[in-house]
Amino acid sequence: MKNRILQAYKQAPWRIQIQWIGLFLLGLVLIASITGVYLSVSAQAAASGRKIQSLERQITNINNEIAELTSDLAAARSVDRMKSRAQALGYVPLDPHQAVYLEIPGYNPQADLVLAPPRVNIIVESPSVLSSYRTSLWDWLVQNIWQTPALNLQPVEEMTP
Amino acid sequence: MKNPFYFRYLIIALICSLLGAGIIIQMVRINYTPFAQDLIAKSEDYQGVRKTIYPPRGTIYDRKGNILATNQIGYEVGIDLKNVVDPETIAFAASTLLEELDYLDVFAMASTEKRADENRYYVLSSFVSKEKVEELELLKENYANRRLETKSIKPSLSGLVWTPMQQRVYPEGTLGANVLGFYNYFSRENAQGVFGVEEAYNRLLTGKPQTVFLPNDPYLVEALPDIEPGASLVLTIDRDIQSMLEETLDQALAWSGGEGGTIIVADPKSGEILGMASTPFFNPNQYWKYQETFPGITPYNRAVGTAYEPGSVFKVITMAAALDSGAAELDTTYNDTSGVYWVANSWPIYNWNYGAWGVQDMTGCMQHSLNVCLAYVAIDLLGEDLFYEYLQAFGFGRSTGIDLASEANFPLRLPENNQWMSLDLATNSFGQGIAVTPIQMVTAISAIANDGKMMTPHVVRSVVDKGQQYNVTPQVINTPISAQTARDITEMLAYSLEEEASVALVEGYRVSGKTGTGDIPTELGYTSSLTNASFVGWGPTDDPQFVVYVWIEKPTISPWGSEVAAPVFRDVVEQLVVLMRIPPDDIRMQMAIE
Repeated sequence: MKNRILQAYKQAPWRIQIQWIGLFLLGLVLIASITGVYLSVSAQAAASGRKIQSLERQITNINNEIAELTSDLAAARSVDRMKSRAQALGYVPLDPHQAVYLEIPGYNPQADLVLAPPRVNIIVESPSVLSSYRTSLWDWLVQNIWQTPALNLQPVEEMTP
Repeated sequence: MKNPFYFRYLIIALICSLLGAGIIIQMVRINYTPFAQDLIAKSEDYQGVRKTIYPPRGTIYDRKGNILATNQIGYEVGIDLKNVVDPETIAFAASTLLEELDYLDVFAMASTEKRADENRYYVLSSFVSKEKVEELELLKENYANRRLETKSIKPSLSGLVWTPMQQRVYPEGTLGANVLGFYNYFSRENAQGVFGVEEAYNRLLTGKPQTVFLPNDPYLVEALPDIEPGASLVLTIDRDIQSMLEETLDQALAWSGGEGGTIIVADPKSGEILGMASTPFFNPNQYWKYQETFPGITPYNRAVGTAYEPGSVFKVITMAAALDSGAAELDTTYNDTSGVYWVANSWPIYNWNYGAWGVQDMTGCMQHSLNVCLAYVAIDLLGEDLFYEYLQAFGFGRSTGIDLASEANFPLRLPENNQWMSLDLATNSFGQGIAVTPIQMVTAISAIANDGKMMTPHVVRSVVDKGQQYNVTPQVINTPISAQTARDITEMLAYSLEEEASVALVEGYRVSGKTGTGDIPTELGYTSSLTNASFVGWGPTDDPQFVVYVWIEKPTISPWGSEVAAPVFRDVVEQLVVLMRIPPDDIRMQMAIE
């Protein structure tokens, strides 16, 4: 009697087989999905890395170009060059006795040269690399799947041109 | 029931386990062999490069924003051995276009065994000009086209590489070089500012180099840290004034036959140095020629680096001390009956012309520059304690603190020193037996031109660092004399110039000033016929806006400061008032009334 009851409730062998195959396939799909996500993120990281390298090179080149143009400009505006250009245009050094002085209200020939704003409190700048490029896959999963995203309660600001 | 194959299974499992264990042991062993360390080092070498990033050196501007020192691009040309295909062509191109290179040397480098990692890159030349690199680029392109036509691998400049790097440049050439100093950029790791502002502010200008790892693996690439450029400096120097001073000094030396000279223009109210010319002139763009321009002990900037006996310009200080202390009044008289003053009945002091000038008040003493009178004032009226107290209050015997490198200072010989003699008090009163630098004189005189307040001389007006500008606040060093004394001396010396019809007078502008002729001591005493001719002047007398100091060393046309330095002062002031936009006195007064 006992054996009969066990036999009645026992799964058919083919059913067990199907369950195992199903579980295996589920695992396979899961691994494939994770691998896919990993490959996608890796590809993006590699592309970003190359882009960073390219941008760094561009920054260096632009800085070099700026330095080159600055020195060219400084040479073009040097005293000797300006003098010879002025002479070529027919100018002569001013005789102090021929100078005409006009009082211009508000004009101060000795005013301070301003190249940058005066000292203010230092503001710490945020890192230039986006956080998404500094997050590992594991961090991303923890952040986006297992944790409830915080509610965005910031007021919507009106965009102005 | 026992499996009949149990024993066989056991043997196979044992063999597999032993193999696995053997592999693991071998892996561990290999990791600890010297060869493995070498392999790890090589693999790290291929992972990327560690590079020190040098921030661009700060720019130096004059007070109006004109660039006096900046950076331009130079190229490092080198051989990257792993890409070398044709060493002969590389050696030919490099030795032809870069004159300093030898064909055989380059060929030997380009033919080096490529696998030895420590020899993978050779530097051929640093700071090659853009034009040369453009020629190399063109050549490389031509060779590439030729290879396409002939379908061969030669000729090729593959492996010859150039990398841009910033180098220091002074667009104005020699202008202001004695103030700027120079930056010896050739030895990159040890490069530093030498002399002048470049040395005094080296740390600020340099910024903070950072060593970073640049990986080849794109997964590991990160943005480079933000490297702030070195701080930029705005000088108090006015480029136009500096240019005028250097031109005037050059002409003055050619005309007077002087061995060297310096001219300083300063704002007495702030201590700002508006211009500072000093010979010999030097082009910091070719700083490696330093030894040729400054042989032996030739000072880089004699305005701050050379102490000399200034002669009678120093009488201004003695007279200021006497009037300020009350030891003498403007109408105090001295009766010069013999033209000689005996110090301790042992040492005679003579006037410049060995003549006697009769009764003179203090203005007369200064007007005729009477040594005997000033010796009398120092010894009989002031006394040694008061005299040297005033000298120290005026800053003599110590550095002025100017923000330029290599400031010289000659210590004062004081009564408490063993070597001091009473004769020193007499000679010091008219600027002999005491050595001062031109910048010390300018600093002391600025007190007289600025109502008694002596300002710290400085050449940096602002520092621009991390996007913010810090302006330098003028600082009062000391107030050695009262405002009234300062005005009395100013008026006295303006009157003296007018009475003497001095060549230092400037039409339309009232100026105060004093000439100086300093004997030059030799090992045998004051035996040389050569002198130091000086002039210090300031103006306009009612509201001094400039102090001008002229020193011509060993002029041959005349030994006298009144004949050599005074006309230079006039030439400078005539141009200076235009550059500083100072109207003639009558127009200025009229403007003030309106």
